[in-house]
Amino acid sequence: MKTHDPWKRFQEVAESPWPFVRAWKKNTRRKIVGHLLPDVPEEIIHAAGALPVAIEGAGVPVRLSQNQIPGYSCSHSMGAMELALSGELGDFDGMVIPYVCDTTRNLFHIWTHSFPWMTNEFLRLPKRIGHPKAKEYLRAEFARFFQSMAKLTGSDNGTEELAASVELYNRSRQALRRAYKMKLEHPAVWTSERVQTVFSASLRMPRDEHLVWMDDLPWNEPVQETGSRIPIYVRGKVWDPPHILDLLDNLGLLVVEDEIVTGYRAVAQDAVGDDPLEALVTRHVATTPYTGYHQDPEQMTAAFVDRVRASGAHGVIFLNPKFCEAAGFDTPDFRAALESAQIPTLVLETSSRGYSLGQLEVRLEAFREMLASDLP
Amino acid sequence: MDPIRALKQIKQITTEYFTSAHMAKHNKKFIAYCNVFTPVEILYAMDMIPVYPENHAAILGARKMSPEVLPAAEAMGYSMDLCSYSRCDIGSIKTGVSPTWGLPKPDLLLVCNAQCGTLTKWVEVLGRMYHVPMVLIDVPHSGSGEQDTAAERYVRSQLEELVEIVQRVTGAPLDPDKLRETIRLSRKASDLWTRMLELGAMKPSPITVFDQFVSMFPIVSQRGTQAAVDFYGAMVEELEDRVARGVGALENERFRLFWDNLPIWPELRRLSDVLEKRGASVVTSIYTWAWGKLAVDESDPLADYTEQYLYTFNLHLARRIDLYSEMAKQYQLDGFLYHSNRSCKYISQDIPLLRAAVAEKTGVPGVILEADHNDPRLYTMELLERQIESFLDLLTAQKGTG
Repeated sequence: MKTHDPWKRFQEVAESPWPFVRAWKKNTRRKIVGHLLPDVPEEIIHAAGALPVAIEGAGVPVRLSQNQIPGYSCSHSMGAMELALSGELGDFDGMVIPYVCDTTRNLFHIWTHSFPWMTNEFLRLPKRIGHPKAKEYLRAEFARFFQSMAKLTGSDNGTEELAASVELYNRSRQALRRAYKMKLEHPAVWTSERVQTVFSASLRMPRDEHLVWMDDLPWNEPVQETGSRIPIYVRGKVWDPPHILDLLDNLGLLVVEDEIVTGYRAVAQDAVGDDPLEALVTRHVATTPYTGYHQDPEQMTAAFVDRVRASGAHGVIFLNPKFCEAAGFDTPDFRAALESAQIPTLVLETSSRGYSLGQLEVRLEAFREMLASDLP
Repeated sequence: MDPIRALKQIKQITTEYFTSAHMAKHNKKFIAYCNVFTPVEILYAMDMIPVYPENHAAILGARKMSPEVLPAAEAMGYSMDLCSYSRCDIGSIKTGVSPTWGLPKPDLLLVCNAQCGTLTKWVEVLGRMYHVPMVLIDVPHSGSGEQDTAAERYVRSQLEELVEIVQRVTGAPLDPDKLRETIRLSRKASDLWTRMLELGAMKPSPITVFDQFVSMFPIVSQRGTQAAVDFYGAMVEELEDRVARGVGALENERFRLFWDNLPIWPELRRLSDVLEKRGASVVTSIYTWAWGKLAVDESDPLADYTEQYLYTFNLHLARRIDLYSEMAKQYQLDGFLYHSNRSCKYISQDIPLLRAAVAEKTGVPGVILEADHNDPRLYTMELLERQIESFLDLLTAQKGTG
């Protein structure tokens, strides 16, 4: 009888990465660099010799950070501050905050003021996704970022090391895409919740080791599938509250594609090309645009509806972080466009403060009932 | 105290501006919606009248009309957590309720995100409503203000592209002489506005920020026109006369305060009365100063716009601490009123740290007033009044005067 649970260690890292990264630092004597989400190229941090660790504020109970940032800020910013104020990030050497909205712009300065002992870096991502000059600028910004990370670690690594890091992360993304596909084919074992745990762990531990761990997953074990599931599409930032995937699994709602920055969106594109910096830029531009980025207003709505249609989803859930202005402005028109295309929607505004799991379950159940009644 | 006489012109100026904006098509002119940090001199020089949805929303707020339009935007799905200017604008479009006969339909939507990211997303909504070109001048934030030549190239290239797009919309090229004249008028208005703000440093101050808020319309909407130059010329002349005669905006100026952030538009009169009763003159504000640094030079205006958007308006926390500390000295301040504005996260999220740091550096205390610039449902005025009263009690005790 097999007693080993191949999912457990992923779950442990995803839920509490701090002891793991502390041990890694002690063993390797290398630097840890935290980064907020989305779109920080981990390959660059890795190529400089540090361990990139994604910081998610969602789900962190907020206490100390309420004195530092007003309560009308999103739970990602407040939760990240809380982790640092409570000492969880005490072993971190650096922090990278990407410029994706006004809150991240402010948070960088609040962070620098509050935690001057860290090397804090602001990654200036352009908002005009796809504009040729934005690509040119982004390449220069990634080059500056690489220099900054190399300065932090004291490394003289260059293009060769960056190319190796890109290759490693591409392999990791391919493996994660395979896991996502297993979820679609065998959701009874490869549940959304389990697969996301594997995704989350990849953002918080060395990728080479993560790839080895993934080999141990039940890729070839026979699976007895039970019950039918309703395919849905999810748009949002992170899985907030984290238990939502468990709820979706239990309700028979199968996420066939998502734009969550720690979910499928994070692995959908590889970085390809001889020049690793250019490959990272191309990958960034090809990735489904984050809600804080700008595109032609009408095209962005039409492109979203096309993505949903192509996924085969029967319904769409908007998982909007409370106080996120970008998501708040997009949602009404996106929703109207989907409803014109006869695709039902559910908007959930999430926050680590004051949400009720029970209420969430009731709303998801009602949505499921609605979708089920639409089935032929 | 007698009101500033020149301020009486504002109603006429506003009416004439909106009339000319509504008559744009008839006069073979075009309409561009834009925001503060956009190159309006180029627009005026190319026969485009700049129209500010934010300004329209502020007028709705100041006239206490926002509760009539806000629910309409919320019924469309726009959350109460979104900027109340945007909700007022969208709600006004939906309901037709407006003190300015609405806004004329745009031919171009222009946004610069050096101001905030909210505007980009708000204007994307307008782009889907009006089906006209939208141009974003994307300004990568310059971190702690360090020079970024790649960002400078990126911003400048977008400004060059803007000129080409405006030419396509209007069908006419940019006339360099017309641009020079517009820049000259804009600089004059900006210099006069700056002089007006500097007069707040006089003791007693001849002007309060409430007067400044009321007088903002031309510097926002008509930079680059003679109307703005004439108005601020009259304002400065009258204020300098007050200074020469030792006349203050308040009869008995006991405290000199700073207003941080945007005004609470629906409460201008009530706040002004509460403060005046206690002899508290609010003599300066970071908000009105934003328009004091918008002038550009004729020789290479695109370089100046680039510099301003990337560096001048990067009001990051460390810079604000230094700036407010300098202003505490320059304006001989007794206290800071920090408006923690639910609708403007960009200039509100660092207020707790800002207040503590400025107090530590200067010894000048501050009080945080949590409110909203246009949605009166998001604050309680009685609570704000009590907070202000308590703060003034503290200042009274510190001064040792009864």
